Amino acid sequence: MIAAAWTCLLVPLGAALAITLAGNRITRRGAGYLATGSVAVSFVAAVVTFALLLGDSPGDRSHPSTLWSWLTAGQLDFGLRILVDPLSVFMMLVVSGVGMLIVAYSIGYMDGDDEERRYFAYMALFVFSMLLLVQGGNLLMLLVGWGLVGLSSYLLIGFWHDRPSAVAAAKKAFVMNAIGDATMALALFLLIQRTGSLNFEIVFANADSLGVWAANLVALGLLGGAIAKSAQLPLQTWLPDAMEGPTPVSALIHAATMVTAGVYLIVRTSPLFEAAPKVLELAGGLGAITLVMAGLIALVQTDIKRVIAYSTMSQIGYMFLAVGLGAYADGMFHLMTHAFFKALLFMAAGLVIHALAGEQDIRKMGGLRRLMPFTFVAFIVGTLSLTGIPPFSGFFSKDSILAAALSQGWYGQLLWAAGMTGAFLTGLYSARLFFIVFWGEPSAFVREHLMIGSHASGREGHTSHERHETHVHSGEGPPSMTWTVGILTVLATIGGWIQFADLWTPISSWLDPVAEPLVEATGTQELVSSLLAVGLGLVGIWIAWLIYAERQVRVPRFAQVQRLLEHKFYFDELYDLLFYRPSVLLATGLYRLVEQPLVLGSIRELVRAFREAGQGTGRLQTGLVRNYALSIAASLAIVTVVFVAVR
Amino acid sequence: MRGPDVVWYLAVAAFLFCTGALGVLMRRSPLIVLLSLEIMLNGANLALIAFSRHYAQGDGQIFALTVMAVAASEVVVGLGLIVAIARKHLDLDVDKLSTLRG
Repeated sequence: MIAAAWTCLLVPLGAALAITLAGNRITRRGAGYLATGSVAVSFVAAVVTFALLLGDSPGDRSHPSTLWSWLTAGQLDFGLRILVDPLSVFMMLVVSGVGMLIVAYSIGYMDGDDEERRYFAYMALFVFSMLLLVQGGNLLMLLVGWGLVGLSSYLLIGFWHDRPSAVAAAKKAFVMNAIGDATMALALFLLIQRTGSLNFEIVFANADSLGVWAANLVALGLLGGAIAKSAQLPLQTWLPDAMEGPTPVSALIHAATMVTAGVYLIVRTSPLFEAAPKVLELAGGLGAITLVMAGLIALVQTDIKRVIAYSTMSQIGYMFLAVGLGAYADGMFHLMTHAFFKALLFMAAGLVIHALAGEQDIRKMGGLRRLMPFTFVAFIVGTLSLTGIPPFSGFFSKDSILAAALSQGWYGQLLWAAGMTGAFLTGLYSARLFFIVFWGEPSAFVREHLMIGSHASGREGHTSHERHETHVHSGEGPPSMTWTVGILTVLATIGGWIQFADLWTPISSWLDPVAEPLVEATGTQELVSSLLAVGLGLVGIWIAWLIYAERQVRVPRFAQVQRLLEHKFYFDELYDLLFYRPSVLLATGLYRLVEQPLVLGSIRELVRAFREAGQGTGRLQTGLVRNYALSIAASLAIVTVVFVAVR
Repeated sequence: MRGPDVVWYLAVAAFLFCTGALGVLMRRSPLIVLLSLEIMLNGANLALIAFSRHYAQGDGQIFALTVMAVAASEVVVGLGLIVAIARKHLDLDVDKLSTLRG
């Protein structure tokens, strides 16, 4: 079991290194197959680990393994250590499974790109980092994985490095994440000081004896890392910009796996959060605010990927809400179904973008229903699943979260109300996207690209380098893109049936040994929440239908509100005003007042002093040999006199 | 076999050394400067040998031999330089060789 877990972790790293070192000796296609194969091996290894773990008794499913001592400093000793337990295996399965499908999809999507090898090396590196994050056996290994996924996210957002907007987005994501990394590192320092270790067991055993202040600070630091990685308020601004990366990257990193790492972190360190219940409640509250806010912003976005990005933010808000209330298994369940349907939505959107030669503006799309029937079906499944309409997967997980909220007193009910608002908004914005893109008559732009039998393929938004060769493949994309979308369609349809609270709950019972839930919803609460959430979702879809499909109702215009939403609640502007401008001002001020007069000035004066001293002593060098001889003789005489006199 | 006292030897050595030093300092022809240098070295040698005899030890004499060897090599280099200067049709005047003035 341990060997399988290590295999799962290290094979993608091997593939990343191999592709990097092979350089031109490997074909572009070969790099794609190598990356896909390595992630597939990971997935198989994860399944093997899972099967072996099933054989253990539920209370005995935690298996740490240390390769060697990695870092030793005084009393501290951090091992290269992984932990195989139900939670990490759950995440391993999701990461490697969805990762395998998305990397395979990339083979078709990235075909013809200039730097495919680099892309696949990064993808394999990401999968390794994410697996390290979820398998890490102490908080230090977790932090290493945490930083590495941030790095690979940065590299992949900025993959098209000749586009300034992509580079800016990559930088933004990295800086935002660095804030979280820093707070997390501070929390770890505090933990080391208090408990002398970062191993999960030792830290958790000491969680209750940390003291109120330390416990709250540690939980806050960890929460800071979680919200930065998961794009929750107030560090959410990087996620929409991250859509500058290739679409499969958005699907894998910015929807299915990396951004949900925050949820994983809270569940993994739940004993620390339970020692600071107020911080845990704060996490839930932030999730609730984010989910409503992101839902509102998604209503006015016009970029197909950004709409989905905001829905990702909103869905992660649900997961934070769940774990914030202590419904850990419900949060993880939603993480899994979300990975399925959100990856599906992104990949279906990728098919659309691919077919339309890189166009992402939904105002130019329309009427794709008949032209791309397969994508149409996939998108329907994704949309209904996202909205939480039975029998699709989102229904099962989202409604468990809402039911859990309902059973948690007034605070829970407040969050429940936010979740319900979110359910309505989800129906509205996802159906809006769906109807605009697929309904109605094909727009002129769509006709130009799809009605001529074959279509140009190009990198999204990259008209300058676009290759106008026509693909001979019939239908909607190369096979590697369609079969992966097909599998995800199936998963998004049936994936939710794994757990149907209260009737059968294998995921809850699987995860219970790691994180005991703090909340149990009753059957009535499940029923009420489900009915209401589905009802509100359907109302949202119905309104979108009236506005965007039937066009019976004009889009309501509220100029002020719309401007507010289009500016994403002015968060970018606020941060610009609060942080960017003051620091620029401070920097220019320091440059003028300190650097120029003090630093540069002192150097200039030093240089002048040395030059003058040199010129002064230079006069001593007459170039006349006899002068030198005289000075030697004279000094010799003086030395002799002094010597004799002192004697 | 006592001979004169060591003081007399030292006096002659000092006289030779000073003569040489004056020559080095005052003459402008490089040839004469080299010659004067030799006189200085020989003054020093004389002092060494005188002390060697005074203390009845061979060290000073051996050291004088070393000084002679060094002097010979130094003259080789010095004469080589003088020949090089003469080949360039430059004046044989040490004061005119002042390119290194600061």
